[in-house]
Amino acid sequence: MSDSAVGLATGSGTTKPNKKKYLETFLGGVYNTNPVTVQVLGICIFLAVTIRVQNAIVMGLALIVVLTGTNLFVSLLRAYIPRRIRMIVEVAIIATFVIILDQLLRAYYWEMSKQLGPYVALIITNCIVMGRAEAFAMQNPPLISMVDGAANGIGYLWILVAVSLVRELIGSGTILGYTILSTSWYERNILFLLAPGAFITGGLLIWVINAINLSTNKEDAK
Amino acid sequence: MPVKNSVHVLVFSGILAMVCAILLYAVTQFTEPLRKINEETDKDRNFLSALGVPIPKNVKPRELLNIFEKNVKIKKIGKITIYEYIPETSKSGKPIAIAVPFSGPGFWAPIKGVLAFEPDLLTIRGIRFYQQEETPGLGGEIASKWFQDEFKGKKIVSKNGEPGFRIVKSGGKSKKANDTNAVDAITGATRTSERVERMLDKVAKELYKERKNYVR
Amino acid sequence: MNPTPVLTIFVASIFTNNILLASFLGLCSFIVVSNRIETAIGLGVAVTFVMVFTTAINYGVYYYILVPFHLDFLSYIVFIAVIAAFVQFLEMFIERFSPTLYYALGIFLPLITVNCAILGAVLFMVIRKYNFIQTVGFGFGSGLGWALAILLMAGLRKKMGYSNIPEALKGPGIILIVTGVIAMTFIGFTGILNLQ
Repeated sequence: MSDSAVGLATGSGTTKPNKKKYLETFLGGVYNTNPVTVQVLGICIFLAVTIRVQNAIVMGLALIVVLTGTNLFVSLLRAYIPRRIRMIVEVAIIATFVIILDQLLRAYYWEMSKQLGPYVALIITNCIVMGRAEAFAMQNPPLISMVDGAANGIGYLWILVAVSLVRELIGSGTILGYTILSTSWYERNILFLLAPGAFITGGLLIWVINAINLSTNKEDAK
Repeated sequence: MPVKNSVHVLVFSGILAMVCAILLYAVTQFTEPLRKINEETDKDRNFLSALGVPIPKNVKPRELLNIFEKNVKIKKIGKITIYEYIPETSKSGKPIAIAVPFSGPGFWAPIKGVLAFEPDLLTIRGIRFYQQEETPGLGGEIASKWFQDEFKGKKIVSKNGEPGFRIVKSGGKSKKANDTNAVDAITGATRTSERVERMLDKVAKELYKERKNYVR
Repeated sequence: MNPTPVLTIFVASIFTNNILLASFLGLCSFIVVSNRIETAIGLGVAVTFVMVFTTAINYGVYYYILVPFHLDFLSYIVFIAVIAAFVQFLEMFIERFSPTLYYALGIFLPLITVNCAILGAVLFMVIRKYNFIQTVGFGFGSGLGWALAILLMAGLRKKMGYSNIPEALKGPGIILIVTGVIAMTFIGFTGILNLQ
């Protein structure tokens, strides 16, 4: 009885990936197919959490954990997940991870939990996690799935930190809570802490990265 | 074969659901004591901070409760509950700071906070807003250090002896609120500022009435 | 107990605290779908409909099932399950009664399930301790607000088709920047709420 007849959604991930594939996957998640700048996913959390560098770092690390874990378990179970309820199973696994993370945060890092608020729970609907589980972990063996998850998480983290550095510095004059631009002479630009600042900074960052990519592509083509 | 298919789906879902539920239940139970203490000490932490009670940097929530119990005495004057800070090491047993909680409707959700006074129950030494859901960056700035610092040294009575508290919307050049019982409103947060003014004014007037009944 | 009047909540969630422009929720589908006005309208209506009902249903589930039985640690899973189930029913309903709408919406209907705005609205409802009437007002307003934002963006993108956008800025880059400007204008609405 073939897998597809029984309704299992397995991919052709039976060949062992070589070292090159690992590197490719890693670089892809971090830069080439960066979840935010290239795939344009997970924007919601990204904009909300980049008010402070500290929040961005914590959320980025949380995403790495959830992505790696979800990819691992989805990949391990990929031979057994019935195709019909594929998405529900993915959501269930993601939700379990997120709830555990949320509880641990509330117990051990209470202030951060209050600052991040509902956005921790919203990792569940974050398109990146679901997207990677569906597009990669369902088709690939566990180890490389973990690499993919971690890589996308790292890719997300560095974008979060980059934008939050700008927003916190211009909006509050601080970085990680330490005053860099003292309020005695610097007029805080609160707009950067609000929605418009988030959108505009994000848009500008994407512009810069795309411009860099385009010029390197042009050079390769020459 | 459809039957085998459905059975597969049911069995798989069943097992997955059970595993997830057990895991979640375990983690929830394990973290419950800490989470509860965190939620309860939230209020205490703010009271202690407003009163100026020294809190070690990475204090554990249990220690925090301890510090609270050892240093703070709860009393009532009239209808108002006050929290006296009498340091453990104090020889005279007299409070060096007194906290008075306040609350009221904010723009989005209830606002809760605490005002800390000098022993004269007239001069403010600090304020904390420990529960608020105001717009971040605007009304939410009431929880920020710069806004709360403005209250230091202010009184609950004006230069002319009128009790109450004002949050002044400053238009134009004069940015400073001049009176002894006024601070500047937050730009762009009119609604929140109005509501906060209302609750602070109320507690200021009430406290001014009751303070003559206060015996140290 | 949340003393904010329903009308304030309703108006505020459309303008001053727009769930997309102020709370950043529901952006993924927003970026993808806002390129055609017809799909934008269709999706906007669908999201509003789902939002009203799922916030209402989850209100009931949370306060009458989860909390009394001390099951609130399962909140997130239950919420998303309710949302998924509702969207599934909606899908079947639309397919039966309006096949044209069904084909027009295509893949976007099941995607509403993972639209962070829907789950986000439910979470906000719990955090802000709304009662039932406030919840419905909030859900309805949030949905309309989201629909309004996506409609504005669709209209603007149509105009932007005639603009000379630098290559690197095309797509998500310019969309985010334009959204930022729209968000700025919505902040201007802050003064309109003079109720109470």
